[in-house]
Amino acid sequence: MTEPLISEFKKAFRGWFLPFKYNLERWAYALQRLSGIVVTGYFLAHIVETGNVVGGLSVWSVPSTDMARDIWTATFHFLDNPLFDTGLVVIGFMLAYHTINGIRLTLAEFGFLEGKASRPDFPYKAKSLSKPEQAIFWLSILFAVATAVYAINVFFGV
Amino acid sequence: MLLHYVTGLGIVIAGGVHLFTVFLTGPYLQNLAFSGGAYSVISVYRNIILAATLEVLLLFVDYHALNGIRVILIEFHQGEAWERGVSWILIVAGILLLIYGTRTILIANALA
Repeated sequence: MTEPLISEFKKAFRGWFLPFKYNLERWAYALQRLSGIVVTGYFLAHIVETGNVVGGLSVWSVPSTDMARDIWTATFHFLDNPLFDTGLVVIGFMLAYHTINGIRLTLAEFGFLEGKASRPDFPYKAKSLSKPEQAIFWLSILFAVATAVYAINVFFGV
Repeated sequence: MLLHYVTGLGIVIAGGVHLFTVFLTGPYLQNLAFSGGAYSVISVYRNIILAATLEVLLLFVDYHALNGIRVILIEFHQGEAWERGVSWILIVAGILLLIYGTRTILIANALA
């Protein structure tokens, strides 16, 4: 290492999530990474939560159905409050954005939707984000907002 | 990297089925009750196709999420010790999550 880890980490963090002076495609990728990390956190919590369907961490053989029912019902009651419901709305937004933008990234990786390379002329806009790709990006934002609105409707009845 | 894209597409399909059974087959609260509806928790685990879909979803999300974290961490810093440590910790975490989730699915499938 040529510089201390902390300042290397600060630079990396700014590069990952705060790409000022970069174009839309870079911001889309930053949000892709952020949403991926957030949803990974939810994945860990979800595996632990659904583990309570059979009774929790201590259960490694088939338990009595009544015990499993009680533990799961208690878990669900613990989680059925506005704070966690708001968290689920955020997770819905992140997951929907990550999915559709991920489809855009997969298509771009295999060469679909990219335009032809050409000489960079003023105003030197990056040609990697072609018109169809921009459309898919805005579609991903739209899908994410729609998912959040639907989730608010499901959880809060609004 | 290729596996990242393949598992991503797999998640769209398996995750779509999972979210469909939870949210779009009836009242959400009924689907999260232990039993009592066609798509309540135990009914879903007892259905062999839905349980298999959940297992596939677990496998794909496990790989996709932890490989994603690995990509980010290795982009941050490259070096023999760092790369080996990051990969080893994430592989172990992935296997533990897979074991715990598979246990849930198998036991719930066998619940009376």
